[in-house]
Amino acid sequence: MNIAEIFIYPGIAFLILTGILLSGILRKITARMQSRIGPPIIQPLYDILKLLSKENIRPKQAKQGFTLWPALSLVSLIITGLMVPIAGITALGAGDIIVIVYFLAFGSFAAYLSGFVSGNPFGAIGASRGIMQMISYEFPFIMALLFPVVFLNTLSIAELNSIQIATGTWNIYLFPIAGIIFLLAMLAALEIPPFHIPSAHQEIVGGYSTEYTGTRLAYLELAHMVKLVVVLSIAIAVFLGGANTIYVFGAKLLILIFSITLVRVLMARLRIDTGLRFYWALGYILIADYVLRLLL
Amino acid sequence: MPKDTTTIPLGPQHPALVEPEYIKLEVDGESVISAEIHLGYLHRGIEELMQRRNYIQNIFVAERICGICSACHTLTYASAVESLLDIEVTDRAKYIRTIMAELERLHSHLLWVGVAGYEIGIDTVFQYAWKDREYIMAILEEISGNRVNYAMNTIGGVRRDITDTHAEKLKNIMKIIEKRSEYYKKVFAKDAVILKRTKNMGILTAHDAKKYSAAGPLARASNIRFDIRNEKYAAYGLIDWTEITAAGCDVAARAEVRIIELEESAKIITQCLDQMEHDPLVMRAPPIVPVGETTFRVEAPRGEIFYYARSNGTDTPERVKMRPPTYANLLALKSMLKGAKLADVPIIVASIDPCFSCTDRVTVLDTKTKKEKILTENDLRKLSK
Repeated sequence: MNIAEIFIYPGIAFLILTGILLSGILRKITARMQSRIGPPIIQPLYDILKLLSKENIRPKQAKQGFTLWPALSLVSLIITGLMVPIAGITALGAGDIIVIVYFLAFGSFAAYLSGFVSGNPFGAIGASRGIMQMISYEFPFIMALLFPVVFLNTLSIAELNSIQIATGTWNIYLFPIAGIIFLLAMLAALEIPPFHIPSAHQEIVGGYSTEYTGTRLAYLELAHMVKLVVVLSIAIAVFLGGANTIYVFGAKLLILIFSITLVRVLMARLRIDTGLRFYWALGYILIADYVLRLLL
Repeated sequence: MPKDTTTIPLGPQHPALVEPEYIKLEVDGESVISAEIHLGYLHRGIEELMQRRNYIQNIFVAERICGICSACHTLTYASAVESLLDIEVTDRAKYIRTIMAELERLHSHLLWVGVAGYEIGIDTVFQYAWKDREYIMAILEEISGNRVNYAMNTIGGVRRDITDTHAEKLKNIMKIIEKRSEYYKKVFAKDAVILKRTKNMGILTAHDAKKYSAAGPLARASNIRFDIRNEKYAAYGLIDWTEITAAGCDVAARAEVRIIELEESAKIITQCLDQMEHDPLVMRAPPIVPVGETTFRVEAPRGEIFYYARSNGTDTPERVKMRPPTYANLLALKSMLKGAKLADVPIIVASIDPCFSCTDRVTVLDTKTKKEKILTENDLRKLSK
């Protein structure tokens, strides 16, 4: 653990810049798939810079925590990023999977809470949808993560990363059902269609971020971008063979982003009840898999 | 009102609505308990305006009632005035009017396919449909010089010709459109996620559709044969076409009707181009219209457009009254929204293909008391007596 690792590479600066770049690439690939030209890849950076220069409006009906929750969301997701091995380096030393899961969940939860305190009906509905969705996807998400933990007998995510590199076997081969279900739950964690239910702007305008402007909106947007990097890094470290060098890490990130974009382009939004039922079904499949593995 | 419901405003400014209109939703959690539709945000005083302009000037007013159905409005207006003047337009003018009306239906339905995709959160359908729509917009611009208000219809005929070069291009485009509509038909009939959002959504039974006098694709998707083109205005009596209906009564059926109509429109246009002969484009129409009154109906992309015109023997109409299709379909919307989930409201509203700028002419603004009053059904009955 040293200061440069925490603040620059692979720490805060790297996380934020990669998040911006990844969402830019996501937008660009989406545009090309929809036969559009699309924005430049660093468009999200321009967006964030513009937001930082805008006036901060605090609506009259906003409750306490209107600034706190967006900021906490970003901070919590960055802390998660510091505990996840990025290109083989973990900025805060060994990360514990349980702690990571809690910080990640808190990051999303804080973002949704900022919708509740904004005092806007669309914000409240977006937040309640988001939390409902969390309740359902967190279960298969955590259950799937626990498969390697239980059967490889380690709680450290860095160790899971290095075990896969040492043996050369990806965990997704050892635990195919858990791996695939993790990737599906990841879509909901990232609000990728068909699970962009909390931010369905045709129904509830901006969702939880409706009332936000300026710096506070920049926090929420940045939190979302950092979440993209963090969740994909967890997927790489735990299931997709890990990564030791920045090249392998970058290549895997790009392949993941491409697959996510494919899903995003092809899918319509599910209704909240259909989405919830889907994730509970995944949870039952995981339990069955777990019981079978213990019995055999 | 019980306190456990929340009021969600859909509009006047809302991403799901292109035009400002206010739908007040009472929701309990995610379920819609009741919906109230408030009109009047787009009142422009068109009917009053028409009483102050002469018959020729009014074509341009009628053209600007709607951004999408501009050819249908002028077609209805011109036909109504022609029936007052007792003029019969030439066959070529009839064919050109039909081609313009069908091109308009094509671009309107393609627009709808895109909007439907957007409302259920699949932007790719939106991008694809609007890209295909661009073929139609480009040829419309080539024929008329304009993408939106074509200014083709006039009293006594049409103002511009469709040349052989245009005809050649149009035929090629119609082939593309037929192919694309096959594709969209497959997408809307087979894609599991799209079906989940459209099947059994916004049910309007045939009985209800009749009760609320729904029009256009909305009625036809409830298995009611109601297409004004059967009245054989313009060239519809001279060509072969079939009326499209579907029995699903839901959003999926409305998509089906509109997508099959794309193909049908393409066939109509190809036929018109093949059958057109050389005739004069426009008959001379006198500026003074004899005393009389008339009505005329046209099938616009969204349904029936109804015009009533009364003349007092001058060059200015005494009264022009129009009823566009959205006004007929809005009533049905209320019953379709009841019991729906909040997530399905945008697609249900979009499924009637609303055009509010056509619709708004029932608000009365009293300038002296600054009070706004919305006419009820009974008020309208009293006024029409």
